[in-house]
Order: sequence, then structure tokens, then C-alpha cells
Amino acid sequence: MGRMRGDYDVVVVGGGPGGMAAALGARESGAERVLIVDREPEPGGFLVQCIHAGFGLHHFGEELTGPEYAERFLEQVLDQDIDLLPDSYVAGLAVDTDRHKQVRVLSGTHGAQAVTARSVVLATGCRDRTRAGIRIPGERPAGVYTAGLAQKLINQWGYLPGRRVVILGSGDVGLMMARRLMLEGSEVLGVFELLPYSNGLGRNIVECLEDFGIPLHLSTTVTHVHGHERVERVTVAPVDEHMQPIPGRGWDIPCDTLVVSIGLIPETELYQRLAIGIDPNTSGPIVSSTLETSMPGVFACGNSLHVHDLVDYVTAESLDAGRYAGEWARGIRRPGDNVRLVPGDNVRYCLPHTLSPGREHTVYLRVKAPRGPCRIVVGGRLEQALPFVVPAEMIMLRLRPELLEGLQGDTLRIDVLDAPHDSRETPHGR
Amino acid sequence: MYDVAIIGAGVVGCAIARELSRYRLRTVLVEAAAEVGFGVSKSNSGIIHAGHQSDPRTLKGSFDVRGNALFDQHSAELGFAFRRSGALVVARTAEELPQLEALRRQGEAKGVPGLDPWDAARLRREEPNLSPQLAGALYSPSAGVINPYEYCFALARNAVTNGVTLTLDAPVTRITQAPDGLVLHTPREPIAARFVLNCAGLHGDTVAGMVGLRDFTIRPRKGEEYLLDKRLEGLVRHVIYPLPREHTKGILIIPTYDGTLMVGPTAEDQDDREDVSTTAAGAEQVFSAIRELCPAITPRDTIAEFAGLRPVASTGDFIIGPTAVRGFINVAGIQSPGLTAAPAIAEHVCALLRYEGLALVPDEAFDPYVAPPTRFATLPFAQQQRLVRSDPAFGRVVCRCELVTEGEVREAIAAGARTLDGIKFRTRAAMGRCQGGYCLDRCMHLLADRLAQPVTSITKRGGDTWMVLPFDGPQHPAATEEGGT
Amino acid sequence: MGAEPQGGQCLRCPIGCALELAHQGDTLQEVSREHCDRETKYVRPAVSEPGRGLTTTVPITGGRWPRLPVKVTAPVPRSRVMEAARIIHGLRVTAPVRLGDVLLEGLLGDPALRVVATRSMARADETTA
Repeated sequence: MGRMRGDYDVVVVGGGPGGMAAALGARESGAERVLIVDREPEPGGFLVQCIHAGFGLHHFGEELTGPEYAERFLEQVLDQDIDLLPDSYVAGLAVDTDRHKQVRVLSGTHGAQAVTARSVVLATGCRDRTRAGIRIPGERPAGVYTAGLAQKLINQWGYLPGRRVVILGSGDVGLMMARRLMLEGSEVLGVFELLPYSNGLGRNIVECLEDFGIPLHLSTTVTHVHGHERVERVTVAPVDEHMQPIPGRGWDIPCDTLVVSIGLIPETELYQRLAIGIDPNTSGPIVSSTLETSMPGVFACGNSLHVHDLVDYVTAESLDAGRYAGEWARGIRRPGDNVRLVPGDNVRYCLPHTLSPGREHTVYLRVKAPRGPCRIVVGGRLEQALPFVVPAEMIMLRLRPELLEGLQGDTLRIDVLDAPHDSRETPHGR
Repeated sequence: MYDVAIIGAGVVGCAIARELSRYRLRTVLVEAAAEVGFGVSKSNSGIIHAGHQSDPRTLKGSFDVRGNALFDQHSAELGFAFRRSGALVVARTAEELPQLEALRRQGEAKGVPGLDPWDAARLRREEPNLSPQLAGALYSPSAGVINPYEYCFALARNAVTNGVTLTLDAPVTRITQAPDGLVLHTPREPIAARFVLNCAGLHGDTVAGMVGLRDFTIRPRKGEEYLLDKRLEGLVRHVIYPLPREHTKGILIIPTYDGTLMVGPTAEDQDDREDVSTTAAGAEQVFSAIRELCPAITPRDTIAEFAGLRPVASTGDFIIGPTAVRGFINVAGIQSPGLTAAPAIAEHVCALLRYEGLALVPDEAFDPYVAPPTRFATLPFAQQQRLVRSDPAFGRVVCRCELVTEGEVREAIAAGARTLDGIKFRTRAAMGRCQGGYCLDRCMHLLADRLAQPVTSITKRGGDTWMVLPFDGPQHPAATEEGGT
Repeated sequence: MGAEPQGGQCLRCPIGCALELAHQGDTLQEVSREHCDRETKYVRPAVSEPGRGLTTTVPITGGRWPRLPVKVTAPVPRSRVMEAARIIHGLRVTAPVRLGDVLLEGLLGDPALRVVATRSMARADETTA
């Protein structure tokens, strides 16, 4: 840890679960010299502050806490002789020939250096949507926190963001924050959710809210923040079917803190600086079936490609990206994709954006709306039946090469359709 | 006893303080908030107007052309960013064109340089992202943009370097008479001075009232502004004004110095002198007005919003001059184009003081220069490398959205930042897309470390803007002595 | 403990299927399920006190962070979660610590409940974890 050479086969930007898996994938596919650059004092990304359990059920077959999951991968990374440079930041990347990338690294210990690499994997994770991002009007007092920052303050630094807290957003992150705050002595006055349902797991509603007597208000949002200096109160109001606050029905809640847990967005600052093509559907880069971006030899994975809900899928996807980056570094080129993968009925997005015949592909997708028993149809053929689908649960599919054979035209469409009433489809098994 | 006490360290107070620091005087700059510029000035749009939009028969219209011209020199000396981006007043319909012509004549009579009417075709060529329906525009090359708080910080810093005393966290609560001057009472030591300059912004009438003067009132007029994602950088190159209406220059498109686009401000009168909330109605007003000028701008791209209050005097104009109370001089009601006018107002007030009997003897030791703060993100790589070699703190990134390093944060603290907003406004940390989600905890710890204070005592902008509490501690951070770590 | 079936709710996913459960020795086993064959440990039994996984942090001195994340190795009875948290928060730990180190045995007097570190943490003056 802490060593940096001048030249690498693969440089991975980001040392969270995505970056660590990508580095391991690169080693697996034969890359000799691999570097991870991470901006935190230690690798692990968000996992370091996610002290709750729920990670690793798929990848390890065990239920681990975030830090445990991160440490398992750190051990593997160190074991595989991967260079790891913490407290460092990739400020830019230039391509001088088709093979060489100049990666500009800023580091307190190593100064400002340009490191050359054959290929690069961007695993820069995601960031919280801010209060301003959903334009909650009002004043700008101290005491409005994103869930991510609140979590870091509590779990790593040991500070309370406040004493009397209102939480906006009832996804698992918001629910976890509610429980942490109560356990550490704050009072959570309520969790408010814009949608008519919570995206969080049923278990978390029980263990984080019901156990603590915290009310959950669905179809309700925060419409105003009050307080000249510190938060003094927030106004909340029910919303109509268009998710607009219903005038005259708001009420004020005295509090000193508002935690907004309103979604995660891929962290694509570096991608944008490099003018890499972005998909507005995912807010992440457009990638080929080898997870290569529009910049040759630059690959993307993890939450900066699209926001995941299971870190196990981040790992799986990032191992793939690392393998492809490792191959690329050794001069191996896959044939360019010639099939477009397009989202069909009830599919908000699917990744990667293009495919190639003759290979197996792992495809990720999210639905637009929750539905009961349904079937995933790929290219008109049934692939899988599911008992239910919700936008909050990403679906991972393995597409067999046969699916691309005999395609009419150059497009493969994925639809998620309701299962017919008398369907005898076998339940989804794993 | 001081020669001059300036109440209010906004842009006007700071500009006057710096101007006075050229002379051998004892000057004190007294500010209620935790840092300079934390009142009206920090929420200013940052436009340095060309001057053709204000009536030369008013005080408002008497200082802006001269003030504008001084900004090159001020920015070179004081090291703050200033760019003459140029501005366009646009006519939405052909019926509005004669108003543009009237503005041009007014500007030329005032000596505004380079005014040039553009027809619709020229406008479309130069600003293709504006609405194709616009009928024409008046171009003013001398208009520019700054970050107003940077200007305040630099002015105050230079003033202090040249001997001015800066007293913060010191709201003036009473003013009493002294044998040859006035005494300002604050929660700190009382301050006696021969001359007192009322630069108190939103509280200009309250302060005047402390010496028995009640010939004007200040009524706040709120302006909401919306900052847009850098995705829209370069969408327009000039400051875009619609034609002005009676009490406002209108809702503008402002390419700020850093390239971020800003839209606003609204103009709503209110009584509350502290309410700086943004509103759904304000957002609606701004974005529907902007849609007419530039259809590519929608609310989706908002990354931040804020509001400021203009101190509007009941006389409808600036109030600058001596009063019935000897030694008490008003510099009140400074709303638009106050920022532009500030350098010229400062010169004028010095002349006023001389006229009132204050001897202004130049100080040969006066140093007009302030070294510009390091802007790591703008340096070429080779220079970044040299900088990091000389101080590894510049190799540690604190704000990744704006690429601000720990070295710059330390510089800001050394230059006077005592709050998180003080760091933000000096370095741009926390001003980007993630709005501090990544860097705030780092900034808090850096500040606590450099100021040798517990993290629980760090504030967003002074006063009661505390950030965090200790676990299992009493409710308010001020009540505990313990640090968190 | 007998083997009579009892009702419960599966908490694995938003559907929340009803389950029939039976005790086999100390554990509850599912005897029927409705929608999927996903195994679950997250069951809210109709009777008897449910347990809760408890994760939290403890103060640690000399480490690179002031707080160390920990977990309790078996579910804590729901009604005693806050009590358990208070006890755990009273622990004082010094770096270095290794993942899995036992920081407290017999939480709430139950030998199955141990408080363990969920990460390694080096001393602040060391360079590697």
C-alpha cells in the first residue's frame, strides 16, 4: 500500500468495492502491474461507513457488514500484489497513443505525477442527490445533511448531525440512518416519502422504524426549510398523484436537522471532464459489452456506471470490467459490438448499451414500475419469470449467445411483461 | 479614539476602509457577522454593470461608470477574479427596440464606452442559444462579472494589512456622544471615533436611528437566484438582461466568473430583514422568465439556490452624505448598482471626509497589493507539480467537484476564514454539484485543527449555525468544553 | 419446544409472504412457503420475541478513526436493543484491533451474544491496516 510506479498495465480510479474488484479482475486476466488510486485515507469506499449488515449474501454466501466486505477484498488486493495509493486523486487523463494513457495523480505523499497505463477502469462510485437537486425552497440554515454525509459523521467521526431529526426518503439508506440516529441518542421525528410506497426492504421498515416508534409518512414531502441560522422547523405536505404538494395541507415540524436520503447519482465528474458519452437514463457512461466507454481503453463499472442496490452485483460487474481492461492492456481486442440493446416495456434502462454475437453477456436492468408476477422477454423469447419486480431491485440476467443468433435487424429488446393470469410459468429459482 | 469607524463590512464598508488605509489614519471596520461580506454582499449577483441602465440624475447613476472603470486596477492590485464578459440588454419584441435606443443614448451621455446596437441576425450569430424570437440587443463590452465575496475579502485583507482594525462578531447596539466624536457600543469593547460611516446595509435606518436620525427607512427587497449545473457552461457568453422595469433590472442570465450559469434575481419587497428563503413561486417566476430568453434552460439543471436582500431606501436612491449629527455620515440604501459603484463611492466618501475636516495625509507605506489566492484547478500541470513539491498539502484534494486542495483551504484559513462558508467563498469548496457532501467533514476538521477549536464549535457562518453535536453530550455545542475526537 | 406449526411473516422482500414455521430444537424452520424458494433468516414470528441484528460503533483511541464499527454475533431480543446499545457504547477500545476481535463476551448475560469488531484498525501512526 502506498507505492506508485511510473507505468502500469491497468490503473483503476476508485478503491471502493468496484475498484477493488476491477483490479482483481485485471490481475485475473493477466495484467501484471495494476494500480488502484483512491481519494480516501483507506480503500473501501462507502462500505467503510455502512456499518450495518446486508452485504455479501450472493458473493460470499454470508451476510456481512460493509466494513467486513471491504476488508475481505482489501486482503485479496494486497495478496494479489496490486499497488494501492490512498489519499490520492486522479485529476485528469490524456490519451497520447492508442495504447498509452497519461493518468494525472495528485497525492499528498507522491506529489503530482503522471502515470502511464495501457488501460484504465473508472470506478468512481456515486454521490448523494442534494436538497438543491430536488429544489426544496426555504432558507439555507446549518443542519441540512445528505444521508451519506450524516452517516460518515456518525459512523466514522463520532458526531451527531443533530438532536431532533426529520428524514426525507424511505429507501434503505434513510431507514438505516433513522436507526443509527436513535441508537446514538438523537430523536427521529418522522420519515417522509414522496412515493406512495417505500423502496426499502420490509425488514428494514420493521427494524428501523416500527421498532423505534418512528412514523412513516408516505406520499408526503418536505416543502420548505425554516431557520435563519440552524434548522428550526420544516414544512411537510401530502402530495397528489402527480407528486405535487397539495396546497393548504402542509404542517410544520419543529426540528434541528433535516437528513435528505433522496437518491444516488453516478459520480461522473471525471468522465465528463474527459467528454465521455453519458446516457441520460442512467446518468452514467454509455458502455459496450466489454464495459468500455466511448474512450478507447477506458472502462467503467460499479455505481459510477449505474447506481446498484447490491454490492455483490457491483463486485460481479467490476470483476468483468477489470478482466476486459486487463485483456485490453495485453493487446487483446474484442470485436466491436453490432447489436443495440434497447429497453422495452416497463424497462427504465438496460446495460450494456451494445452487444456482440457469439458471446455470453451479463445484462443489468431496472424496471420503471412495480408489478406482480411478470416475465422478462428478450428478443421476443421468454427468458425468466419473476414473482414481482420493483424499480429498487436491479435485475441481472445472463444472456446466452443463442439469443443473438438469427436476429432480425441489429436491435435486441428487453421487455418486462405481466404474466398472463393462468400462467404456469415456474417460479424464478436461483 | 479612532479617526473613522465604519459600521458594516460589506463591499461598501470594505471599499471605504481600503481607500482610507491609503492615508495615515486610525480606522476601524466594525462588522456584526463572523466574517466580512456575510450580509447583503455575499448574495450579490456579482455583475459589474456598464452603467447605461441607471439614470445620471440619481446617485445610483453617478458612480457606476467610474466604478466600472476602476475594476481593472482593483482586480490587478487586490488579486480577485474579474472578467469583462460584456453584456446584452435584449429586446423581446420590435416594440421594445426604441427603449434600447433610449438606453444607448443615456449610456453615451454618461460616457459608457463601446455601446453597440445589434440586430436580430447579429444576436443570433453571437448568442445562438438565446431565443430566436428576440428582436435585437444593446451590447456593452465594459460590463463584467466578479465573485462579490472575493472582492470583499480582498478589500478587507488589504485594509488590514495597511493598518485598519477589523472587529468581527460586533453588532452595534447603541451610539452615544463623546466630547469630539461618537461612541459605538457593541458586545465587545466600545469604539470611539471622530467620524462614523453608516454602511450598515439592511440595518442602515436602525443605525441612523441610534443617533436620532429618522429621515429614511430601509425596506428589504428579496432576490432569489438559481445556480445551474456546469453542463450548461458556455451556453451564453454575455450577461443577458431583459429590458429593465421600474424597480428591478429584471431576471438575468449571468455567466459567473467560474463559468457556472446563474439565473435571477426576483424582486419582492418584504418586511423581514432576515428571511432569505427561496420559494416555489420565486423559482417559477425565474424559470418562466428565462424560458423566454433561453429555452435551453430548465429547472432540472439547478444545483443550488439562494436569496439575498437588497437594502432599498425609502428615498428610492442611495443616501450618501453628512447629516445633522456631526461626524455621522450615511452611506446607506446601497442596492444595485452598488457593487459596481463601490470603488467610486469609496473615493467620494474620502473626499467627503476631507471636506468635513478630516486631514488625509498619504501613507508612504501603503501597499495596494494582495497576492491572489492559489487556484490549483486552473494551473497547468507543471505548475501544479511544482506547487505540490513545495507543499504536499496542495497534493491532497479536499473538494473533488471543484478540485480544491488542502493547501488552498489552509491559505483561506490563514487569510481569515473562520467558518465553513468562509472557506467556501474563498476557495469554492462545497460550491459544486455535490454541495459539500464529500468535503464538508474534511473542511470542518481542517478548520478545527487550524483554529485549535473542537469540531463541535465549528459553524457554517458564525452565530448559531453549529454543525454537529458530540455523542451523549449536552444539547448545545457551546455548552460543552470537550472536543469530539 | 414442540413441533407445532406457528404463523410468521417473511421479511426478505416487499411481498412479505405468510409462512408456517415449526421449532426444530432451537431454530425455527419453514414448513411451507408461497412465492419463491429464497432462503430467509428474516422472519417475524407471530409469537415469541423477535431478535434483531445489532451493529453500531464504539469509541476507539489511537486509531485512524475515532469510532470502530462492531456487531453482535447473534440477534438481540428486540425489547433489549437500546439497552444493549448503551452497554456497547460504554466500551472503550484501543487500537490496533483486528477484524473479528471479541470486545465483549456475554452481552446481556447471554453467552451467544458477543460484540466483535467488524474491521481491522491500525494505530494512527502506522501506515498499513
